[in-house]
Amino acid sequence: MIATADSQRRWRRLFLIVGAIVAAYALLAPLTSLDAAQSANVPLLADKFWFRIATYVVMFVVMATAWNIIGGITGYAAFGNVAFFGIGAYTTGMLIAKAKWPFLVALPLAPILAALFAALVGLPLLRLRGHYFAVASLGVGVAVGELVQNIDYNGQPVFGGASGLFLPIYAVGHRGLFFFYLMCGAAAIAIAVTWWVLRSRFGYGLIAIRENEEAAAVLGVNTTAYKVGAFALAAALTGLAGGIFSQWNVFINQDNAFPIEYNVQMILMALLGGTGTVFGPAAGAVLLQLLIQFLGGSLPISIDLPFVSTEARPIVAQVILGLLLVVVVIFVPRGVIDFFGGRTRLSLSYLRRSLRDTSL
Amino acid sequence: MRRWALLAAVAIAAIACGGSTTGGPTTGSTIVLGAPLGLTGSLTKESILTQQGYNLWQDWINARGGIVVNNVKHPVTIKYYDDTSNANQSAVLMQKLITEDKANFLLGPYGSAATATDAAIAEQNEIPMVEANGAAQSIFNQGYKYTFGVLSPANKYLQGVIDMAATLSPKPTTIAMLSADDNFSLEVAEGVNTYAATKGLNVVLYKKYKNGATNLSAEVQAAKAANADIVLNSGHLQEAIAINKAAKEQKVNAKIFAYSVGPSTPDFITALGKDADYVYGGSQWTPQVKYTPAFYLSVAEYVAAYKAKYPGLGDPDYHVAESTAACLALQRAIEKAGSLDPKKVRDALAALDVTVFFGQVKFDSRGINIYKPMVVEQIQNGAHHTVFPDSVADAKPQYPTPAWDQR
Repeated sequence: MIATADSQRRWRRLFLIVGAIVAAYALLAPLTSLDAAQSANVPLLADKFWFRIATYVVMFVVMATAWNIIGGITGYAAFGNVAFFGIGAYTTGMLIAKAKWPFLVALPLAPILAALFAALVGLPLLRLRGHYFAVASLGVGVAVGELVQNIDYNGQPVFGGASGLFLPIYAVGHRGLFFFYLMCGAAAIAIAVTWWVLRSRFGYGLIAIRENEEAAAVLGVNTTAYKVGAFALAAALTGLAGGIFSQWNVFINQDNAFPIEYNVQMILMALLGGTGTVFGPAAGAVLLQLLIQFLGGSLPISIDLPFVSTEARPIVAQVILGLLLVVVVIFVPRGVIDFFGGRTRLSLSYLRRSLRDTSL
Repeated sequence: MRRWALLAAVAIAAIACGGSTTGGPTTGSTIVLGAPLGLTGSLTKESILTQQGYNLWQDWINARGGIVVNNVKHPVTIKYYDDTSNANQSAVLMQKLITEDKANFLLGPYGSAATATDAAIAEQNEIPMVEANGAAQSIFNQGYKYTFGVLSPANKYLQGVIDMAATLSPKPTTIAMLSADDNFSLEVAEGVNTYAATKGLNVVLYKKYKNGATNLSAEVQAAKAANADIVLNSGHLQEAIAINKAAKEQKVNAKIFAYSVGPSTPDFITALGKDADYVYGGSQWTPQVKYTPAFYLSVAEYVAAYKAKYPGLGDPDYHVAESTAACLALQRAIEKAGSLDPKKVRDALAALDVTVFFGQVKFDSRGINIYKPMVVEQIQNGAHHTVFPDSVADAKPQYPTPAWDQR
């Protein structure tokens, strides 16, 4: 059943209004923590804990939006993007901790190095397709983390080794606010880049590759250059998030700079929100990261799950995330943005049609 | 009928208790301590031991009405969150404890990685964190002012064995060091490598292996080829067991086998049976140590209190003891500061020097306790004995270790 033009507009308007309110609140609430606001007795809407959670959420907005460029628009399911996050984190980390560079000078090198690395491994890797590419990219993600931990020179670990890398705590007033807005800036860049890609000749080429790579080549798309370009672009944005993370978190090691679970989470976020769209991955990242934090018991609002002891809660949280992945892939394959964005309406027949399409 | 009588008795007791605590002018606000722990995930076992140590102290202090600050008794609650053994989550929860739960002070998580991440949170919020389960020195080399570790740092773990070896005769002279490649184990190994020479011992072999390796026969083969008097392992329980098994198979007859982690746990003896005999281990604390505590329980009372609260688990191991010691350090600092102000308590922690059942607790300028010696224990006839230093030992080291075919 196709939704009428009228209800399409209604849904679209609702989505835009809700999205705008959420974004406005998230962007304005931090201002209440400024001294001027506090002395004027404005209620505090964003404390340090709010900043910690919100910065994580926005960090995933960057990563999911970046993944969308290679995974959603180009159709190459990259499972190892965490490698770029880690490279970004270690680039700024090394420049600040060892070379004593100032943070804001070191930060731009994070996306540059991540993109260079992506271009380098992308050349052989992007010749693979489907599952082969997914598995090979996952391998790269794991291998880079192991290399960073284990490279020694004269018996001394080059990148801090297993001890990890400590950065000096960044000397800036309102640290939480600073890193939150910085991460928001990265998210804005990621979304703007996606918007541009989808409207450019480059983007049309990528979509052509996703739909039929041979046909795209015949039409004169330089598929290798386009694919590597998309991979490097995704890597640069992911590396930027990693670079900010390293200074924000102060301490990085293999575990927190190359967490395997981020690979799956950023993909799930893009799927949940809607791959190939501008705002879908961002919406998915906000929803899913808040759900993850909620299930992990770190949000101020928390409910006791029935029949679940507190000890079993993290395990149940994993099960819920897994079920969600299954439900999303089967029932809302084009993401929630599909109906919130006004293209179709969420209805029983929509779910039934999706189920039929997956030929289950 | 009996149930009603019981209920009535409980009710009366509750009223009586309530009356006695609220009636006097001496009860103040509750002090909230916060600790994220890996109650699920890969660090569950050690995290639960940590929690047991914290809870033992909490019961004791609340039975006495709380921490006394300027003649006002403040009861204590320790708020725990499960960080699923994930350091990032630990940091989020630390911030939640500070901001949402208004924790006055912090207790450490389990493990060096989580402690490192949480130390940065404590520092940025200027709330003191006393920790007992992150021994990596890198945490304490950052110039942080709000993190204090009551345990001996990683580099000291096997130094006790070196000290002991220097007193034995015939004096062993060569060392083979087999180390896992995680940050804690590497610091233990580096500690030995730099310290051995000062005691006239030579590290003739230093081999690193992948953390968690299950087959270490090649490493043991190398130790045999080096013909070292002392075979040291800086790693974990499973690796220590693997090395000991390989040493028997390959008939490596060193005079001393000493492992950083493993021998102190009951699992080590269960897994190896008689082959566990003569093995030495470095330990933060053993139930046999003899320290004269300035307050809290004596060592024997502590062991008894643990067995009463957690029956069926045997003696408390050092994870439990050091965790309790972290609480004691915090308690004494709050009392000395005479205030709940985080900065004043921080200063009191920095100036703290007190001996408890765990040993001396005193922090160097970096915030780590370098003053308490590590003890050396040896398994003798299937039982743990503390053999070094002499002042706390309950047995003499059985030295040298007999050859495998003469046991």
